[in-house]
Amino acid sequence: MATALSLLAATDSQWVLEQSTLSYHVSHPLHQVDGVSHAARGKGVCHEGQCEFLIAAPVKSFDSGDSNRDLHMLQVTRGGQFPMVTVRTRLPETAAASGSIHADLEVEFAGHTAHYKDVLFQLSLQGNQAKISGTIPCKLTDFKIDPPSLLTVPIKNDIPVKVDMSWRRQ
Amino acid sequence: MQMKVARLVVAAAVLLLLFNANLSLGQSPGATLSGTVKTAAGAAIANARVSAKNQASGAIAEAQTGAAGVFTIPNLVPGDYEISVSANGFTAETTTVTITSETPPPVNIALASAQTGLSLSDLGFSPAQTQGSAQDQARLDKRSHMLKVHQRLGLITTAPLVATVLLGATAGGRRTSSTDRDLHAALGTATTGLYVATAYYAIFAPKIHGTETRGPIRWHKALAWIHGPGMILTPILGEMAFSQKSKGEKVHGLASLHGPVAIVTAGAYGAAILSVSLKW
Repeated sequence: MATALSLLAATDSQWVLEQSTLSYHVSHPLHQVDGVSHAARGKGVCHEGQCEFLIAAPVKSFDSGDSNRDLHMLQVTRGGQFPMVTVRTRLPETAAASGSIHADLEVEFAGHTAHYKDVLFQLSLQGNQAKISGTIPCKLTDFKIDPPSLLTVPIKNDIPVKVDMSWRRQ
Repeated sequence: MQMKVARLVVAAAVLLLLFNANLSLGQSPGATLSGTVKTAAGAAIANARVSAKNQASGAIAEAQTGAAGVFTIPNLVPGDYEISVSANGFTAETTTVTITSETPPPVNIALASAQTGLSLSDLGFSPAQTQGSAQDQARLDKRSHMLKVHQRLGLITTAPLVATVLLGATAGGRRTSSTDRDLHAALGTATTGLYVATAYYAIFAPKIHGTETRGPIRWHKALAWIHGPGMILTPILGEMAFSQKSKGEKVHGLASLHGPVAIVTAGAYGAAILSVSLKW
């Protein structure tokens, strides 16, 4: 494994996101809601031992099972004006060796950028494929989103985003 | 004596005028800060968010650049401001500005690209997918606003609706007293008026094209086909029943359907509220 990784580090390489499940979780006294998107696309470019990753998904691709709620979510998150959510991160190529990754993320959403440091992801490497999973600890206030409410009770500020991704090295 | 008083009055008026003038000169009721947000190469950056934070009061005013990269923030009081600018794909910038007049000089900001290599187009997203529009957001905002009003009016309507149904038990039958009947009719009228207002906001909320109706909202919309016609029939049948009772007759014919139609209508209305309130 170490030899394979060191070989990888020596040459430029690209990673492509093959499959993904992104899901946000919203808490309300009457409802627990999960909105799921399988529409994310991503790419990673590795050069001289450093990899830059960009993952993006349309905000309107998140499906909570209720179209009325999804449209309201789109409005509250300013999705008409900022239709994409993007995540950028930089990692050393050798980060894959340990089976888990601590990544600093730059998330752009609802017209604002938030930085999350040391987010833990589990990594499973199988040949040219890497499976990554983890949770980004997002909050509504990070993106200056007014918490929507149901029957005058607002939702909680925490909106953790669970991430499951399959990457393939090209 | 009169001349002395007159002079005092004139002097006081002049002093008052000078005092007010001094106040208005010292105040700048609404300064407008404008400027541009561009790339290092001079290209306009649309949809950049610009915020002006008054460093004394902490008050924040926000604006967004248009297609030409121009922003305008009106109604700023004089003082020191921290101007923050951010845009997707660019490194955010902050600068400070001191506003002393109603038309301060423009603030022109250049943002450096945050993208060292990858962009949304590299991922295969088209410009149509990645670029939003203020018009789309305005449509969503209007829709949400109207549906919030619809929700609140719908909840408010529940109170007279329930009261009308409860009073219905004593409004008809063998009782000859008209008090309960009159109150029932008045509450029914109020319920109908509130219901129409509630329905208006739902019917005329902007539709968002390209979205499929899914989830409990389908039931909410379907139940409207029961309580909607019911809310039209119920007062009509009620008026017929009211007229018969007022003449001393027993309620008969179509008018006798007033009660059952009202119950079904109220039931469908309650179910419509529950369909979007509880998780099934």
